Amino acid sequence: MHGISPQQFAGSVASFLWPYYLALAAMNGIFAYYLWQKSENRPFFSLPTPGFAFRFTPALLWTIVAIVYVFLASLAIGAHLESMPQVPQGFRDFVNASSKATIYSLGTTAVLVVLYLFRSWFVRPMVAWSIWNLMLLFLGLSMPDPNFFSIVAKPDNVPIVALVFLLAFFTWLAAYRAVENDRRMDEGLPPVEKLDDEKVLVWPDLVYTEMICMIALSAVLIFWAIWLQAPLEEPASSVKTPNPSKAPWYFLGLQEMLVYYDPWMAGVVLPSLIIVGLMAIPYIDFNKQGNGYYTIRERRFAYITFQLGFLELWVTLIVLGTLLRGPNWNFFGPYEYWDAHKVEALTNVNMSEYFWQYWLHRSLPTAPPNSTWSTQLGYILLREAPGIILVLGYFIMLPPLMAVTVLRRYYQRMGFIRYMVLANLLLFMAALPIKMVLRWTINLKYLIAIPEYFLNF
Amino acid sequence: MADMSKKSVADILAAARKADAKGDSATASADVVSAPAEEATELTPDAVKAPADLKPATKPGGGRLSVAEMLAAARAQKEGGAAAAAPKAKEKPAAKPAAAPAAKAAPKKEVAAAVAEPLDTQSILASARKSTKPGPMTKAEAQSIGAPIAPAAKKAKAKEAIVVPPMPVKPAYAKPGAKPSKEEIFERRVFIFGMSFLAIGFVGLATTFALWTLGTVRFMFPNILREPPSRFSVGTADKFPPGQVEERFKAQFGVWIVNTEYNGQQQIVALKSVCTHLGCTPNWLEAEQKFKCPCHGSGFYKDGINFEGPAPRPLERYAISIASDGSIEVDKSKTFQEEMGAWNDPASYIPV
Repeated sequence: MHGISPQQFAGSVASFLWPYYLALAAMNGIFAYYLWQKSENRPFFSLPTPGFAFRFTPALLWTIVAIVYVFLASLAIGAHLESMPQVPQGFRDFVNASSKATIYSLGTTAVLVVLYLFRSWFVRPMVAWSIWNLMLLFLGLSMPDPNFFSIVAKPDNVPIVALVFLLAFFTWLAAYRAVENDRRMDEGLPPVEKLDDEKVLVWPDLVYTEMICMIALSAVLIFWAIWLQAPLEEPASSVKTPNPSKAPWYFLGLQEMLVYYDPWMAGVVLPSLIIVGLMAIPYIDFNKQGNGYYTIRERRFAYITFQLGFLELWVTLIVLGTLLRGPNWNFFGPYEYWDAHKVEALTNVNMSEYFWQYWLHRSLPTAPPNSTWSTQLGYILLREAPGIILVLGYFIMLPPLMAVTVLRRYYQRMGFIRYMVLANLLLFMAALPIKMVLRWTINLKYLIAIPEYFLNF
Repeated sequence: MADMSKKSVADILAAARKADAKGDSATASADVVSAPAEEATELTPDAVKAPADLKPATKPGGGRLSVAEMLAAARAQKEGGAAAAAPKAKEKPAAKPAAAPAAKAAPKKEVAAAVAEPLDTQSILASARKSTKPGPMTKAEAQSIGAPIAPAAKKAKAKEAIVVPPMPVKPAYAKPGAKPSKEEIFERRVFIFGMSFLAIGFVGLATTFALWTLGTVRFMFPNILREPPSRFSVGTADKFPPGQVEERFKAQFGVWIVNTEYNGQQQIVALKSVCTHLGCTPNWLEAEQKFKCPCHGSGFYKDGINFEGPAPRPLERYAISIASDGSIEVDKSKTFQEEMGAWNDPASYIPV
């Protein structure tokens, strides 16, 4: 922490933590009360105690959790870092170690796959509530760590932390209702949304809801603006760039893309493709099911593609750019000190250099001096031939291959043009993680590198 | 009535009222008055079918009745019934084309009895909505629907065909060729005056847009002082020992003066402090002996060659030379790009 004593730091942490824990306690208490009122408060187990039957119900469990939170709040209020509950050092080391780029990305993917495969278990309210509590507890227990606190409590990053929790909640909500509908359709029942599909009126039903939301959101924004100071930085200078220099949080996914692609690709082509692809969805999608109700099984392809594109390629990159990118755009673990002089020995190599120098042990094909323009172009194309062949093969060979294998049904249903649009959009989408993993694993800079004509891929 | 569907609802209503209110259509009135009993039981088909006789014969089994037509028919029946009931009550001949006042004058009870609840608009709308499918239908569908319509058409045949009121005679002032009076000329002048205001408005609008466009074009050429690419002296060569990266000139001129080895030759070069990826300003990290960009992590060796991160090409060099007084002079008007082979140009370095 810059310029503040450990005592001041402990005070600022405590001022956040004890209301936070009390809020969590209230949240669990309300949940326990709700369960107690509801008839579905079936006990986990019963103890044959004399006098009365002791029944360990979910309501009792969450009451105990609430009491634990009150206890944590009482520990945090003392503003002594030693007495504050913290995550153990071993856990921090583990998280720091697993925050390396490759492990982080592949791990996120693995977690998403597990969540998807076992969704019927994860969406159960008891399980989801436990995960929700663990996430919040993780945040609270990590706060006494100065490095973690400086990242998470930075006014720039508060929206992203909120976004992670909001996203978890809404993803759960949608998956919960989809799983419920899928189960009902197994039993031959209509989806929940069809049970009560009576029309509601725009006025007053919708407009009132919107107005209440508007008032609530305005209140939140006002209090937020009062509570957190605007994160202003030093005056802009054309010869001094802040280190690290981060885009607004919603563009951090784009900034992360720029690390792996030429600015022309990552700044123009890929964002345009994202927008065009989103606009093309209604013309590509031929699945008439799932209209007006949540379902996963009836729209498996659409669901997986969307969650991959949104959760994996957008939100995960935002979180990565916010929490894991530090000075000089190096990777830092959440509990790691932002050392501006952290040495990351990286030497990125182009595909052409791999091919000609590492594998063929020759120098790069270079045009003889004072050669004509066309000769130079020929040499450039020869130099980049391996990458060009790879990229062209990826975009030309893969769609037909997919058409006869994994996407055969889609090709038959969609026809040539629609299928090609879909296949190319999918391939462009997949190109980003492929390039990222190639960069992290074999330090590949560009598959095609023609800086002479500003053409890099 | 051939073009019934082209008439407005008001026209149809008027025509229907006229026809039914005449009173001579006893059958129709009787039909309606006696209708409630049976209509109460089977109103829905009746209400739907009743206007069927209004359909032109040239459209056999054509389009289905629109809601407006059904409403018109229903009102015609309602008013007819009321009108028929009215004379009995008040002995008032239904001479008025619009029977509404008569209906209002009629005792409520009788109206209620004559009309009965099935004839209200809500139920007719409901019955219209209940029909199987809205919109046009195929001929086969029309035939299948046509069958049940037929008896109703027969039943309603007794009703007098509705006659369209003739077009009113054109008044004199509407006929062409009349000489304009003074007042008319004055009105026209006022009109032209008004038009000229409109014209002024549009011309003003066009002018504004034209000025806007010109302003936008002007915006493309901002009012800035384009300084000539500066040529400045950085001191004598002995101030730059081998291996040094001089950062003094970065803040003012955006240049690092580097004494480094390139292609086996010790050189003093002026590196432009702009990242070749997206134009951020990299920092010189003395401990790691590299230039590192804080935006996307591009890294450059001391000689400016890119080696990590996304930067696609080396940093650029400015022209550098030894002036007549022996000091080193950097000329920012000319840059040298390594990937173009320009670093072999003697103007891009000073051999040490």
